[in-house]
Amino acid sequence: MKFFPLLLLALCAGTALASSAQRGEIFYRSQHGGDWSCASCHTDNPMTVGSHAVTKKTIQPIAPAANPERFTRPEKVEKWFKRNCNDVLKRACTPQEKADFLAYLLTFK
Amino acid sequence: MKHILLTFALLTATAALADNYHYGPFPAHYVEECGSCHVAYPPQLLTSTGWQKVMAQLNKHYGVDASLDAKPRAAIADFLQRLASNRDKHAPTEATARMTNTTWFAHEHWKSSPAKTSFADCATCHTDAGKGDYSERSLKRPAGKRHRDD
Ligand code: HEC
Ligand code: HEC
Ligand code: HEC
Repeated sequence: MKFFPLLLLALCAGTALASSAQRGEIFYRSQHGGDWSCASCHTDNPMTVGSHAVTKKTIQPIAPAANPERFTRPEKVEKWFKRNCNDVLKRACTPQEKADFLAYLLTFK
Repeated sequence: MKHILLTFALLTATAALADNYHYGPFPAHYVEECGSCHVAYPPQLLTSTGWQKVMAQLNKHYGVDASLDAKPRAAIADFLQRLASNRDKHAPTEATARMTNTTWFAHEHWKSSPAKTSFADCATCHTDAGKGDYSERSLKRPAGKRHRDD
């Protein structure tokens, strides 16, 4: 139930979750013209433990199914979207991109 | 009030133990904000000028964005200032104020980090660095490296 506000966001983006999840996967794996993708630190499989591309420090899985603490604290979520979107895309992510990203992560059960 | 007293007790304890190369444990808010991409570095190993420089450029932090909102940022800056070193050997030697570029660090470590490791990743050798423990007991030297000036 904790995901409710974010889920709503995903739905409000105006698309069925299925295609949103597909766009989310492409977004997750794309380097967007730079050196990193989301997968560079969160790994190819969002269900597994990742490591920071520069420091090698361990990062717990990003998919909520593997890590129930994910997406439960809105300020934390926004803080990291801001930082990581900047690092990967050199700009802020759009609400649509965030919704697609989340829709993709929620396909993991 | 209770909270302030506890924090104070913790700070004094941290200062007293630092001689044994135990700099932690660190308060949860510091670990949360400064310990997710690397271990939370010991505030005691950089001067206040050094920490000011680090905190002033969080949005361009050694190649990544580590920006913080004004409120948590001020709380962390304050915490770092209170524990900062006042010794010259812990002063920054360049604009990015890397702890690993201080004269103290260079004296304590090898001239360059062993292949495939970065000095910034304290935990590869100081296995309890996550807890602020840099004592000899938890030190794991990289293969082939015995003394610090090998
Ligand atoms: C350079 C490494 C790196 C890259 C690249 C990266 N992340 Fe992260 N991400 C992290 C770290 C470190 C954390 C915080 C540590 C933790 O919570 O485990 C994090 C946490 C997050 C969180 C917080 C989730 C929560 O509730 O705990 C979100 C959201 C996130 N990342 C989204 C993204 C997106 C979207 C991308 C791709 C555009 C991305 N990340 C790319 C390192 C990275
Ligand atoms: C988004 C990830 C991230 C966050 C959050 C972060 N850092 Fe860093 N930090 C890095 C990276 C990447 C490096 C460079 C590591 C390297 O060169 O191997 C670094 C390096 C440093 C260094 C220099 C280490 C050296 O080589 O001497 C200091 C000091 C530092 N960080 C302090 C902080 C403080 C204080 C905070 C909290 C306000 C913080 N960091 C939060 C990613 C982060
Ligand atoms: C590649 C391995 C390695 C890395 C990485 C490393 N150190 Fe060290 N460190 C050592 C060795 C070896 C010594 C010397 C111990 C001795 O005196 O014999 C040492 C000594 C120290 C000491 C003094 C403790 C003592 O027992 O003398 C401190 C404090 C310390 N390091 C902090 C750090 C910090 C902080 C970082 C990360 C910014 C770091 N080190 C990264 C290997 C490393």
